[in-house]
Amino acid sequence: MSSSIENSHFLLRRLHSLLGLVPIGAFLVFHLWENSQSRFGAAHYNDEVVGALQGLNYLLLFELFLIALPLLFHAGYGLVIIGHGRAEPRRYGYLRNRLYWLQRLSGVGLILFLLLHVGLTRIAGLFDPSISADLFTHMRQALAQPAVFALYLAGLLLAVFHLANGLATAAIVWGLTASAEAQRRFGWVCAGLGLLLAALGVHGLLGFLIAPAAGGGA
Amino acid sequence: MSGGQKGGQVIVIGGGLGGLWATLAIAAAGHRVTLFSLFEVMRSHSACAQGGINAVLDGKGQHDSVQQHIVDTIKGGSYLANQPPIQSMCEDAPGLIRTFERMGVTFSRTPEGLLDQRLFGGVKNKRTCFAGASTGQQLLYGVDQQVRRLETEGQVAKQEWWEFLSIVRDDDGVCRGIVAMDLRSLEVRAFRADAVVLATGGLGQIYAPKTTCSTNSTGAAASRVYQQGARFANAEFFQFHPTAMLGADKTRLMTEAARGEGGRVWVPKDPADRRAPLRIPEAERFYFLEDWYPSYGNTVPRDIASRAIWKVTRELGLGIGGGDRVYLDLTHLERGFVSTRLGAILSIYRKFAGQDPLTTPMEIFPAAHYAMGGLWVDYEKDPATGGMRRGSPRNHATSIAGLYACGECDYAYHGANRLGANSLLSASYSGRVAGEAVASYLSGLERGADAAPAASFDAETARQAEINQRLMRSSGDQNPFRLHRELGELMTTKVGVIRDNAGLDGAIADLSALEQRFERLDLGESSTWANQSLAHARQVLDMVRLAQVMAASARARDECRGAHFKPAFDIAMPADSFPGEPAFEAYRERWKANNAEWLKTTLAEPGPDGPQIHFEPVDLGLLAPEQPRDYR
Amino acid sequence: MQARMPSESPACETVELQIRRQDGPTTKPYWQTFVCPVRPGANVVSLLMDLREHCVTQDGTRVDPVAFEHNCMEEVCGACAMLINGSPRPACSALIAELEAPIRLEPLPKFPVVRDLMVDRAALFAHLKRVKAWIKLDGPWDVHERAPRVSPKEWQANYLYSRCMSCGCCMAACPQFGPQFGSQFGPEASFVGPAPLAQVRLMNAHPTGRYDKAERLHAIMADGGLSDCGNAQNCVRVCPKAIPLTTAIGELGRETTLQAFKDLFGPH
Repeated sequence: MSSSIENSHFLLRRLHSLLGLVPIGAFLVFHLWENSQSRFGAAHYNDEVVGALQGLNYLLLFELFLIALPLLFHAGYGLVIIGHGRAEPRRYGYLRNRLYWLQRLSGVGLILFLLLHVGLTRIAGLFDPSISADLFTHMRQALAQPAVFALYLAGLLLAVFHLANGLATAAIVWGLTASAEAQRRFGWVCAGLGLLLAALGVHGLLGFLIAPAAGGGA
Repeated sequence: MSGGQKGGQVIVIGGGLGGLWATLAIAAAGHRVTLFSLFEVMRSHSACAQGGINAVLDGKGQHDSVQQHIVDTIKGGSYLANQPPIQSMCEDAPGLIRTFERMGVTFSRTPEGLLDQRLFGGVKNKRTCFAGASTGQQLLYGVDQQVRRLETEGQVAKQEWWEFLSIVRDDDGVCRGIVAMDLRSLEVRAFRADAVVLATGGLGQIYAPKTTCSTNSTGAAASRVYQQGARFANAEFFQFHPTAMLGADKTRLMTEAARGEGGRVWVPKDPADRRAPLRIPEAERFYFLEDWYPSYGNTVPRDIASRAIWKVTRELGLGIGGGDRVYLDLTHLERGFVSTRLGAILSIYRKFAGQDPLTTPMEIFPAAHYAMGGLWVDYEKDPATGGMRRGSPRNHATSIAGLYACGECDYAYHGANRLGANSLLSASYSGRVAGEAVASYLSGLERGADAAPAASFDAETARQAEINQRLMRSSGDQNPFRLHRELGELMTTKVGVIRDNAGLDGAIADLSALEQRFERLDLGESSTWANQSLAHARQVLDMVRLAQVMAASARARDECRGAHFKPAFDIAMPADSFPGEPAFEAYRERWKANNAEWLKTTLAEPGPDGPQIHFEPVDLGLLAPEQPRDYR
Repeated sequence: MQARMPSESPACETVELQIRRQDGPTTKPYWQTFVCPVRPGANVVSLLMDLREHCVTQDGTRVDPVAFEHNCMEEVCGACAMLINGSPRPACSALIAELEAPIRLEPLPKFPVVRDLMVDRAALFAHLKRVKAWIKLDGPWDVHERAPRVSPKEWQANYLYSRCMSCGCCMAACPQFGPQFGSQFGPEASFVGPAPLAQVRLMNAHPTGRYDKAERLHAIMADGGLSDCGNAQNCVRVCPKAIPLTTAIGELGRETTLQAFKDLFGPH
């Protein structure tokens, strides 16, 4: 008997959980580290970081199969999951229940943010090569506008929260943490990780604004 | 047999331990069962049993024996129960426990992973298997899960939220089915069955609210078949538990162990003393159990403690604040000790009284607990073993052919008083035996229920529907819920812990006056959907009629035996005198003479002027009544 | 809980009850307000019982008694669960003295209303069947052999789950459970809910119940099974018996992970 394979439900749910962590979560960590390099200036950022990545062979395949498709599945199936629940954060004011609600809220928020974010950078770059040539300046100009900065800050925090909380619940889903104490302990670990990633991300956002501009005199 | 399918069609009424065991046994024999319950199956009163279930496993190094279990049960019941069924029950108890264990019941364990056993009242050996403090709940769920599995296999069908109203008898008087009411749509419908098993539990609600019983333990179903001609036995024997929490809605049980672990029962010497209990100095407290029974003190048996509390409150007027309550005090005990040993009841008391027994004495009063009496059921004695003959269709058959009874609604195992932790045993065991008996009955049945004439079903359905319509049209001034309350007060006062013939005569008169008032009923609602007042009104009327049986049976028995106590006829055991001494031997002779007159089963049958009481002898083949009950 | 002397208990003589009523499964709900006398130690069930005798609303209109379920009155049968001031809990153990007035009573959500505060919890029992919450016996007869031993430690863990009385509070509080989710694909597709999941944990721990472990795990790996749990964990917060439902869910997460590996890579 192998009904868990014949019935796709379980595998789809677990795939959704897994993809959220690897590669999407892993990519987010990498992405935040990558952008935290902004504080070392346009040259370093554009040439050493972005440039190196753009020079990778099969980059498009990586982007497609390690980022775009997993993200599309995670987002699409996530919307299906959201449709199967009804959060009552006010009636049950317990932390985990609020997080349940926030996870879904942040998921929807992230979909909207990512549409803008990917559209303004990666997709726009396809049409305007100067964007990918000097991503640093592109971002610096964009983030200089308070509204865009606020949007990016929100997107960053949503993403970090979604990952950290997703990690905590994935540990329950996969059976890593069973007892309430284990879940609480691991919850703190995830919260710490989330703070760390948030700090890294904010550091990166600010880096675009405070680091020396292209060719500028460091 | 009905349906043209293999096997017969049986109706079991009641989803407690007895009914579910009967269902399992009947299904195991290849028959189909329709299980009727007033509510979702698994919510029955069996779930309330806390302490445990007796079975001799002899795993505690005390050389316990089945024989001793039999003797304890017989003597605990003051010899009033027929001995063959007791023998068979005690012999089968270990096997029953093994079966429960296989079902997954979470019995408490010894360090070696075996079943643990503890000591209970009225016995000397650790013989009680238990599952924490929720043994009844665990046993009930064990069988409930098995029945649910049979349900998925199509062998059992449940009719939940259906109330049994009456049986249907054919022209030969054989039970061929029932009429029941859907408690939602109020539809009254007949159901055919080759046999019917009644497992409808106790009747503590007749004493409401001073009862430890669930609100659905009304005895109405047993009353209905009694009114249709089934004999009712030993109705006067009703156990009052001495220590129940006070409550306007219900009195919740506080286990005997509270006294066993050192709890003291007392009242202020001045009933008008309004001080908080712990501010009352020792000298101004009356520890009446310790005063009156110096050797046993607070650990006197249930019936003695109940009577003492009754005397203090009702006769001496010394209840706290002059009311029906005394203190059960644990505050002098070491807190850690009490918490470990009595944790379960502490939490019930905290939850329901909003007070902590560790810091405030509990307020308690005796409450109606368990009906030893019930529908009369037959048994076939096996001369070879002295027990019941296995598989006999006579076992647990009522006086109506095709109608069986098991569980608390029968009278078979407890005589005049029930031993603690024997009720879960008798409920389970009798359910299984009744199921096996039904299977034998079906194999000898020539014509099934399908052959019964439709006219008897139609007539009974019409009669029951007519009762409903009459009640729905009623426009008097008598509220059924108030009538229930008055019934409880009346029974608690006059057919309660202590009885006298004048009071019982009064009770009989009051009960018929109460019955008359149903002519002027005001139902209070006319809804034709889920009308709970209608169902309740019907139940209360049948409770009043059953109460009449209890009062008449109590009136007829002029002696003290077990839970039935008439002080005017008390033969007191001489204090400080033991077997062999002249005073004790003289007492023994008087006791035996009393047995010669009164050691007999009370039988009630409906008559034109109320219950007709007569008696039948008790089978004493195993243990002759030579030893009076003596817990000294 | 704080101890309170009877003499110190607040002298609240009446309390306002706001009850959401519904005459039948398909009719519209409406609210009625009652002012009820409160006796010491009164609970929600005792108030509703008293109300049956004299069911008059605050404005003096005589109305039908409120339909509700109750039986044991000591929080062990599970019948009387309802929404009290917004929280699902057994009404018998909800003491009036400890509730904020006015007290709002509503039927247990997520289950179809029968009438007033009565609901039909058939879904819960259907789900118990779905997950095969029983030990497979050859028959209810004595086989003259006891079940295998269980260590006291294991017993202690199991006992927590065996006290579940199917009151439905955990299901009512679960954001993933409800007739609206998946029921268009039949009851088999809607989320099985915390209580039945805990029973899977219990049955799989029994020495012979283990024989059917894979079957039960497969049942909760299907549509509406364990993976529909959203880990909101309201269940464990509202459970009146403090059953560690989320621990069971975590353990089952581990078991299903292993089961999936077995299913994928063998041995089956």
